Amino acid sequence: MTQVLSGIFFHLGKRKESTKDYSKKWWAVILMLTVLVVLIVAALIAISLTARSGVGIHVVAGTFLLAMTSLLTASYIKRINLPNNQVTRHPVYLPVAIVSVFFAITSLVLGYIIYPTDPIGFGIVMIAGGIVLSVFFLLVYEGYPRLKIHGSPGILAISGLLMVTAIIYMTVIADWIVPYSPFHINVGGIREPPNPSFPLGTTSLGQDMLSRVIAGGATMLQVAAISVVVCFSIGVPIGLLSGYRGGLVDKTIGLVMDSLFAFPGLVLAIAIAAILGPGILNMAIAIAVVYIPSYFRVVRSQVFTVRELPYVEAAIVMGARDRDILFRYILPNVLPSSVVIMSINFADAILTAAGLTFVGLGLSVDIADWGWDLTLGFQVLIVGAWWISAFPGLMVILLALGFTLTGEGLNEILTPKLRE
Amino acid sequence: MVDVLRIKDLIVEYTTQRGTARAVDRVSLTLGENRTLGLAGESGCGKSTLGRSLMKLVPYPGKIVSGDIILNIDHDITWKKGTIKKGDVSILELNDDQLRMIRGSEIAYIFQDPMTSLNPMLSIGKHFIQIQQAHDPTIEDEQALERAKEVLESLGILAERVDDYPHQFSGGMRQRVMIGLGLVLRPRLLIADEPTTSLDVIVEAQILEEMAELKEKFNLTMILITHNLGVLAQTADDVAIMYTGRLAELAPTEALFENPQHPYTEALLQSVPDVTKPDKKLAWIPGAPPDLVNPPDGCMFNPRCPFAMDICKQEEPPLIQSDTGGLVACHLYGRS
Ligand SMILES: Nc1ncnc2c1ncn2[C@@H]1O[C@H](COP(=O)(O)OP(=O)(O)OP(=O)(O)O)[C@@H](O)[C@H]1O
Ligand SMILES: [Mg+2]
Repeated sequence: MTQVLSGIFFHLGKRKESTKDYSKKWWAVILMLTVLVVLIVAALIAISLTARSGVGIHVVAGTFLLAMTSLLTASYIKRINLPNNQVTRHPVYLPVAIVSVFFAITSLVLGYIIYPTDPIGFGIVMIAGGIVLSVFFLLVYEGYPRLKIHGSPGILAISGLLMVTAIIYMTVIADWIVPYSPFHINVGGIREPPNPSFPLGTTSLGQDMLSRVIAGGATMLQVAAISVVVCFSIGVPIGLLSGYRGGLVDKTIGLVMDSLFAFPGLVLAIAIAAILGPGILNMAIAIAVVYIPSYFRVVRSQVFTVRELPYVEAAIVMGARDRDILFRYILPNVLPSSVVIMSINFADAILTAAGLTFVGLGLSVDIADWGWDLTLGFQVLIVGAWWISAFPGLMVILLALGFTLTGEGLNEILTPKLRE
Repeated sequence: MVDVLRIKDLIVEYTTQRGTARAVDRVSLTLGENRTLGLAGESGCGKSTLGRSLMKLVPYPGKIVSGDIILNIDHDITWKKGTIKKGDVSILELNDDQLRMIRGSEIAYIFQDPMTSLNPMLSIGKHFIQIQQAHDPTIEDEQALERAKEVLESLGILAERVDDYPHQFSGGMRQRVMIGLGLVLRPRLLIADEPTTSLDVIVEAQILEEMAELKEKFNLTMILITHNLGVLAQTADDVAIMYTGRLAELAPTEALFENPQHPYTEALLQSVPDVTKPDKKLAWIPGAPPDLVNPPDGCMFNPRCPFAMDICKQEEPPLIQSDTGGLVACHLYGRS
């Protein structure tokens, strides 16, 4: 996994360009970063000023501070070590860890001072939001110059990743910046169209649409994350086993997988969700079952190709151990393609989750969820209340688009390396 | 002199949809310590199959049908799950675990194509570490790296390049790395299957030179498989000529080149271009090697042989002692 990730960002480990070129890029990036930050900050401040919690602005400021600090720490470490005029990658984990611990403590202390009713919650959100935001900034700062050399696939991947992290950040701090509780009914009129006090309008129950849009990603992201983890950790190992062992094992697993694969995905997910009942975990499991065969097939066929490659044979000839052949020769060369499936799987999981909620097999009514709002909004579309389904729908599309872009980009970037 | 390797009546067959193809047919060979045996013959005559069967690694759907391969081992091999006593070991009777210990540490095999023989995801150093630890898990990474650097330096690759990945090396360097990987465990027998075919002539000459040096340094016994008879003339002590899975001729290098006995050997030698004699007409062998699934009766070479007699179409010639001190399988000799 780390190899794959470092393959994306740190392609060769050593950067071939000189410090001068690097600093030029660095300035361009700084400029971009500033514009981006200003825009985001403006939007966030506008929203968080009216936050229900009263400390929305503190949360936003705190997370930005944390993210900036870790970014600076990372870049400072990098710029210290410049042997032969080259910028080399050095592990930045330790200083980042120190900074994070420091922030954890300060966040808690701040929590007690600023928000005594729930200091722990405040601290946790500060840290979680800060981490997500650091990832966002690091992606721009580190990922942009590196991915740009891959041309358009690199740009695709980075914009996808940025979209996803931005949505995750919004979801993490949602509770603290929403102007109204996403669940409270009758905070405004019924089905009010967008207006200054309710920028995205209100629902049929008089809930604030803006709050629901900000907070509604949580379930979807959780479902997607859990189902992808489950899929990945089941699909990849059995694909590996099946492809490497072959024979009867392969036939048996293959038969089960093929029969799962034969069902249309959404129909199977609906059937499983209907059996398991509503809930985040059940929804995730239903989606996972649908996607395991995809991982299995891709990994298995990759293993079949890779294990016939000369370097695997060369390893056998040199007396390599079975586990080395499997985990050092086959797995690393199979992982990139499964990572690509993973990001496409993310996108599909989100759409399936929205679909499950749409047919009423998702979640209980009081949870803020884009899928739910789509369902409810769809019913009132006929009376002209377009805003109830349009904004959550837009968010679903954005998130799915983010994952798809990431997947497509990574696919392009990683595949040629495989064939080398 | 100890015989490092003895092959007795080895038969290897591929089962295909069309029938069974005998890729190695009753081959017997003996290889003394420190000797270099050159193995030559047309494409598809079973050279690689023979080489691989010495490690019991015939690719699917091939099978070693019968015969015996005896390897002499000069020290006890001990590992977690078992031991192999020193002395003569029959390769075909070893189980997978024992074979794994023999592979790499006693017999090294170098493939034709260095471009694809290294794992793109592992650095060169990791290759060396992993291969040494596979045979002796107690070796530390640093120790393994030290040895790797030593071997690489002796092959003319800078020691600091151990951290580089395969794609950062040229073809010739990769082949040197492969040779280094083959030699790092100090094997007794090195099988090189067309190690320089995919390289240009200058690199080829360098690598062959280095291999000859390493052979002395590491006290190696070698089997060199190649199409290039010129290479064999320089490096081999003995040369075996194969035709459709059988040994056609086996003789000391000088004798074979100066006085080829088998018509096939002669034809092969005729087809080698010689820069010193530009007027020489290049001969080629008419016809193609026979189909291994439906081989001709009698001598396999008879449809292409200029000296074919009646008996050649009926009886297979046995491998007999030739006048030049080698072995030859041809009806032209041994009678009358
Ligand atoms: N996997 C296989 N399945 C079926 N037949 C095979 C297989 N591998 C090799 N053969 C057959 O066995 C014979 C010997 O093949 P081998 O690869 O040993 O030849 P070679 O002498 O090494 O040729 P080259 O000089 O081209 O490398 C060939 O006729 C080939 O058709
Ligand atoms: Mg061959």
